[in-house]
Amino acid sequence: MSRGWAQLKPLLKMNWALLAATVALTVAGVLFVYSACYVSESEPVRRLYVQQMYWALAGLAASFALALFDYRRWIRHTPWFYGLSLFLLVFVLVFGIEIYGARRWLRLFGAMGIQPSEFAKLALVGVLAFVLGRPGEDATGWKAVVATFSLAAAPVALVFLQPDLGTAIVFFAIAGAMLFAAGVRWRIAGALLAVGLLLAGFALGAMAFPERLGPLRAPAEQTLRVVGVRDYHRERLAGFFNADKDPLGSGWNKIQSRIAIGSGGVRGKGYLKGTQNMLGYLPRTVAPTDFIFSVIAEEIGFVGAVAVLFLFATVIVSGMRAALATEDKQGQLLCAGLIAMLFGHVAVNVAMTVGLIPITGLPLPFLSYGGSFMIATLSAVGIIQSVHVRARREAGFTVD
Amino acid sequence: MNENAVQWRLTLAGVGLGLAMAGLCARLFVLHLGAPELWGGNGSNFAEEQPAVRGRIFDRNGQRNAMALDVAVKDVCADPFVVTSDDRASCLVSRLAPLLEMTEDAVAQRIFSRPGSRFAYVSRRVPEPVADRIAAESLPGVFFRDTILRRYPQGSSMGHVIGFVNYEGVGSAGVEQRMERFLRGAPGYLESSLNAKRQELVGRRAQHIPAVAGADVHLTLDQNIQHRIERILEDTVLRHRATAGLALVQRVRTGEILAMASWPFFDPNVFVESTPEQRRNRAIAFNYEPGSTFKPMVVAAALNEGLVTPETLIDCENGVWHYLNRPLRDVRPNGMLSVTEVVAKSSNIGTAKIGLRLGDRALYRYLRAFGFGERSGIDLPGEERGILHPVERWSRLDASRISIGQAVSVTPLQLLNAVCAIANDGILMRPHVVREIRGADGATLFEARPEALGQPIRAETARTIAHMMRLAVEEGGTGHRARLDDYETAGKTGTAQKVVDGVYSGTDYVASFVGFLPVENPEIGILVVVDEPRAEGYYGGLVAAPAFRAMAKETALYLDVLPTRYRLAQRP
Repeated sequence: MSRGWAQLKPLLKMNWALLAATVALTVAGVLFVYSACYVSESEPVRRLYVQQMYWALAGLAASFALALFDYRRWIRHTPWFYGLSLFLLVFVLVFGIEIYGARRWLRLFGAMGIQPSEFAKLALVGVLAFVLGRPGEDATGWKAVVATFSLAAAPVALVFLQPDLGTAIVFFAIAGAMLFAAGVRWRIAGALLAVGLLLAGFALGAMAFPERLGPLRAPAEQTLRVVGVRDYHRERLAGFFNADKDPLGSGWNKIQSRIAIGSGGVRGKGYLKGTQNMLGYLPRTVAPTDFIFSVIAEEIGFVGAVAVLFLFATVIVSGMRAALATEDKQGQLLCAGLIAMLFGHVAVNVAMTVGLIPITGLPLPFLSYGGSFMIATLSAVGIIQSVHVRARREAGFTVD
Repeated sequence: MNENAVQWRLTLAGVGLGLAMAGLCARLFVLHLGAPELWGGNGSNFAEEQPAVRGRIFDRNGQRNAMALDVAVKDVCADPFVVTSDDRASCLVSRLAPLLEMTEDAVAQRIFSRPGSRFAYVSRRVPEPVADRIAAESLPGVFFRDTILRRYPQGSSMGHVIGFVNYEGVGSAGVEQRMERFLRGAPGYLESSLNAKRQELVGRRAQHIPAVAGADVHLTLDQNIQHRIERILEDTVLRHRATAGLALVQRVRTGEILAMASWPFFDPNVFVESTPEQRRNRAIAFNYEPGSTFKPMVVAAALNEGLVTPETLIDCENGVWHYLNRPLRDVRPNGMLSVTEVVAKSSNIGTAKIGLRLGDRALYRYLRAFGFGERSGIDLPGEERGILHPVERWSRLDASRISIGQAVSVTPLQLLNAVCAIANDGILMRPHVVREIRGADGATLFEARPEALGQPIRAETARTIAHMMRLAVEEGGTGHRARLDDYETAGKTGTAQKVVDGVYSGTDYVASFVGFLPVENPEIGILVVVDEPRAEGYYGGLVAAPAFRAMAKETALYLDVLPTRYRLAQRP
């Protein structure tokens, strides 16, 4: 066997179920981006699925490369990667393109836009795994908490400025999950959870019912503005609690998404036959991105929607198996952080689509249209594979 | 931290994630498999009845003269909920009011009368240009509904014949009512989908039955004649300060009605603003005592029975004749008169004696044969039948009174039709106003044919009585003011006292004139009735005869009836 082929040997140890689920979801993503866009009047929109295909191929290539490459050899360099991502987040605030009132995109090589915040998520997972998983590091006390949130605060602050509230929340979810996995004491975990819930509750209350705050209203408004809450967030919140009050405005997406899912029934209306999507009830701007799950649920019904959730569950479980299989603490933390990131997106996006939570602009991994996000999520899978193939409990494998 | 702790934590996290997944699946289950109410139903599908375009009504000139047609208009509606939740509500009212030519109060009342409602009509049946101007303002909560307005371009002209369509779109008077089943068409049905912009998706129609447009009705009436008749009638009524009046023009040979006017006029475009009295088509729904205009039919009956000849002398008793101890008077005293003279001078005593010679039963039989006491069967709703009591209930006096047009009521249409039977060689035709009905596809659904109802008198008798009626229009006859220069005209005046509180009034009369021309080959019959003339005379010869003359002249010229003297000149 030549040396070139030997290099590829670790791939044989991959988690094939994870690979299959990932590929299946990615292919479904291309198919349903096509379905969501093929009736559009605009030629570039109709061709989005081709773009998506290129992103998917690039993402899968990145995934294989990362799986092949031993994570332990690059994990100590993650602070550099983290620094670079912070630099890009600053850069995007200055030179980024503004779309829908937010600066999230960097234009590179002409037409390609990249979203530095997606890579910042990976960078944060990497640097936290490196810091919290260092041999001899005590990750159970307040020191770890402070370190973790300090590292998370920088990208969160920069993302707030874009503004992108949904992504900022994902950063906190990643930080919390990794602290928990690192073994922070239960008492501290409980305290953090309580503080988090209190802050979230206060923020939602202040957004939804500002008149109830009395003298606190002015400082509360100030605070909310500083942390990135904008009027459309309030509208979405109002739309969530009372969609029927403004069914043609802020309540529209929620109502139409619910109708799309409900009218899908058990088996769906058939691929390319979703009327909510085709007739423009699901707005064309969000159908291929944040509301791709509505398109899927309408066209392939309950069966298809549950199958998609099953594939996501497969990805999550594979990540957990990798974390359990490895003895390397940094590997465990990498998996925990990546699972938190993937699951956070899935749960928030699907819950929003089915009308359980207010609309937040988080895409659905592997399925939603979007280049940076596609590459970032497939890279995450590659890192999980990388941990998986180098796990101790996989017999007959030796570290090179 | 030991190995177990990590496993324990990951397992706990796994359970948490599993629960979250299960929650999402449960929600999907509810939405996908639940009842449509849970997810809001499919708003893109709709089914609706599509209104059919109502057929048009034309006069006898066809497409050139539309008397009734559908016009697309819009109802201006408002969503009071949206209007009130918008802080520009008062501004909205003040902008709507001038466009709709309504007061601000009226607009506000329409919108805010039912608080909490999501729908209110601001103004119904607004012309499209006005609706477009309102739409350009893009006022919040104001929207439009397409609807159809029935328009009558000729306004009040022929209004009684045309009738009107009520707010539900159902013909409720006149031809609109009688020909409803032809005019209304068949509504269509559409089951289809809408896109997010509320546009119908033709490619996704589940079912579509197109509406069938209603058929067009063509009348026998001629708008040009009708217009002239109406002008003359109105002039006459106003000059004599009468309460009402009517005029009828009938084609003698076919029974077609060429004009049917009733004053006060009635504009079907604004039918809600009219009183029932204004809406009444007096030509068919007015029972009145015909007076002397009734005499020709009585004399015709006696001639037909051979009881008298035109030369038979009748003693007219020098103006007063006591019959059964009741006095009967003539307007001017006469001595011995021939039957011809009795008709020409309109002697009550002479006609009563002729009627008595006939006897009750024969008189009754002839009057029924002339169509009195029953509806003519004209194709219009609301026709009266007149009052001709059955002969068994007649008193001994009745024959003498009925002979001079008292104790009997007729409708104007009955009277003219009977006189036209005299003109038409004794053949009674069915009067009608609808000439033809044509479907939207051009197919003829109905075509009127002249229909003879019977022949009360022989042709020779008819010509004899026509000659007598011609003399009534000559110098010395009561109807000499109806004489035309170019046409030999036959006619009869009538001046009937109205019964007020059970006795004949000394002040309330019905003045009338009925006649036809040209005598030698009659083409048109005309009746003019003026109710309660108060100024410049009340005699039929004074009030109605000049109007008849004007109408006859206009109509004969318009129809290009060959003048009599040329006709005589043509004889070899």
